[in-house]
Amino acid sequence: MIVDLLITLVKILFILAITVGFFAPVLTWVERKQSAVMQDRIGANRADILGFTALGLFHAVADALKMFTKEDFIPQGANKVLHTLSPILALIPAIVTFSVVPFGGEYTLFGKKVNLVISDLNVGLLFVFAIASLSTYGYVIAGWSSNNNWSLLGSMRTSSQMISYEVTMGLTIIGVLMVYGTLKLTEIGAAQENFFHWGIFLQPLGFFMFLAASIAENKRIPFDNPEAESELVAGYFTEYSGLKFGMFFMAEFIEMVTIAALVTILFFGGWHFPFVSTAALLSVFEFLGATGANLVAMLFHVGVFFAKVAFFIWFQMTVRWTLPRFRYDQIMKLGWKILLPLSLANVVVTGLVLLAVS
Amino acid sequence: MAYYVDRNVKMTWWERIYLPEILRGMYITSRHFFLNLFGFIPFFLGTSKRRKIFTVYYPEETVKYPAAYRGRPVLAINEQGRPNCVACGLCEAACPAYCIDIVPAENSGKQNEVERWPKEFTIDYAVCIFCGFCEEACPEEAIFMSDNCEISMLDRKDMKYNLQQLSVPIAQLKDRLEFTRKMYGKWNY
Ligand code: SF4
Ligand code: SF4
Repeated sequence: MIVDLLITLVKILFILAITVGFFAPVLTWVERKQSAVMQDRIGANRADILGFTALGLFHAVADALKMFTKEDFIPQGANKVLHTLSPILALIPAIVTFSVVPFGGEYTLFGKKVNLVISDLNVGLLFVFAIASLSTYGYVIAGWSSNNNWSLLGSMRTSSQMISYEVTMGLTIIGVLMVYGTLKLTEIGAAQENFFHWGIFLQPLGFFMFLAASIAENKRIPFDNPEAESELVAGYFTEYSGLKFGMFFMAEFIEMVTIAALVTILFFGGWHFPFVSTAALLSVFEFLGATGANLVAMLFHVGVFFAKVAFFIWFQMTVRWTLPRFRYDQIMKLGWKILLPLSLANVVVTGLVLLAVS
Repeated sequence: MAYYVDRNVKMTWWERIYLPEILRGMYITSRHFFLNLFGFIPFFLGTSKRRKIFTVYYPEETVKYPAAYRGRPVLAINEQGRPNCVACGLCEAACPAYCIDIVPAENSGKQNEVERWPKEFTIDYAVCIFCGFCEEACPEEAIFMSDNCEISMLDRKDMKYNLQQLSVPIAQLKDRLEFTRKMYGKWNY
C-alpha cells in the first residue's frame, strides 16, 4: 500500500518536473532559438551569468525572475476574484491532463508491477477531453473579467474556436477508438507494439485532423486568432502581467507538450521503437536479471517516448513559424465545413473497413 | 506609380487542398533550420556557415547609415573654422517643435568680413522630432541632419546642446551635403 503510494508520488513528481520544471522554461528558449535559426538570425543570447551565456539558455531564468518581480496589475473595473482565478483555471487543466498520459509500458521491478502512468483510468481518453475543454473557462473568464474590449473579443473567439474544434477532435478520436477498441491510453499504447499497427498507418487522415484540431485548441499560430497581436493587442491576456501572465504562457507550453504526447500515444506507437518489441528487449538484456532487464527496457521506452514528444514539439514550432494566421471566417470554415465532414467520413470509412476485415 | 495587387488569385485544385502547400512551406523553413543548425556548430561535421547571418550586435557594432538617414541636426563648420550659419532664423521659424534657439551677433559695419553669425545656438534634442525641416529651410547649407542618433542622457537638461556641442566640421557631412543638394535641387526650391 505504502509502496504503491510512493510509486505514484514519484511518478507525479517526475511528470511535474518534466512539464513545469523542464519543458515550460526550456520551450521558451527553444521557441526563440528555433525561430531565429529558421529565419537566419542568431536569437536571444544576451542574458549572461559572469559573461557566460550558454547559448541564451539563461533567458528562461531571466524571464522567470522578471515575472516574479513584476507588478501584478489589476485594471480598474475588473472583477478581482475572477481576474485572479482565471490563469489558475487555464493552467491546472493543462497539467492535470498529463495524469492519464502514459510515458512507458508496464514493467516488473523487484517483483512489483509498475505502470508508467499516474492513473490508469478506464476512460483515459475521455478524461483528457473533459479536462481539456474545462480550460476554455479559464480563457473565457480571463477575457470577461479584465474589463477590456480586446480581451472580451479574444475570449469570445477562444470559446467559439475551441468549441468548433473540440467536435472535430472528438470525432477523429472515435476512429482511433474503433481501431484499438479501448479508451485506456495505456492499452492503446501497448497495442502499437507492431510497427505496422501504429495509428498513423491505420488512421492517416485522423492523424492530420487531430493535429490540426489540437493546434487550434492550443490557440497557436496558424490558429492564434484569440490572441492575434496585430488585431487584439494580446487577446484574452491583454490585461495580465507578472506571474499571472506567466501562468497563461506556461499553460500554452504545457499544452504543447500534452498534444505532442497524445499524438505520440495515439498515432506514433507511444513508447515503442519501430521493430523492437518489449519481449526482444527483455531477452537481449536477460543477463542483467529480471529487474535489470526491466529497468533497461523502462529507461529505453521512456527515452523513446520523450524523443518522439520532442520531435512533435519541434514539428509544432515549425508549423508556428511557417504558416500565417488564418482569418476568423477561414477558421470557422475550416472547422465546420471541411474538418467536421471529413472526420465523419473518416468514422464511416473506418467502420466499413473494420466490418470488411472482421 | 500605383500598382495593383491581384487578390482574386485563381488557385489550382492542388493548392486548394492546402495540405501539400503547408508541407512545401515547412520544407523551406526546415531547410533553413537544418542548414543553419549545422552552420552554427561548425565543429560538427566540419561544415562552415552556409548562410549569411544578418544580425548586427548593435551596441558593439553598428551599420553605416545611408545618407538619407535623419539623425540629430548639427551645425556645419566651414573650412575657415566658422559656422556657415548667418543667424537668419529661418530654421528657428521652420521648426515645428520650437526647439531651436538662436542669439545672433553682427559686426559693426566693417567691409569684407563676416557680417552675421550666431552668438548662441541651442537645439533641445529632448524636444526635436528629427523632421529635417531646419535643414530644408536653411539657405546657407549650415544645418544638417547627421547620422548620429545615439543621444540618450540621464538628465533632461543635458539634452540642450550649445554651439560648441553642435559644431561638426563640414568635411564629415560630405555625404549628407551631396544628398541635400540632390534632393532639394530636384524639388526646385
Ligand atoms: S529636425 Fe525638426 S524639430 Fe528638430 S530642430 Fe530641425 S526643424 Fe526642429
Ligand atoms: S536657417 Fe541656416 S543660416 Fe539661418 S539660422 Fe538656421 S542654420 Fe543659420
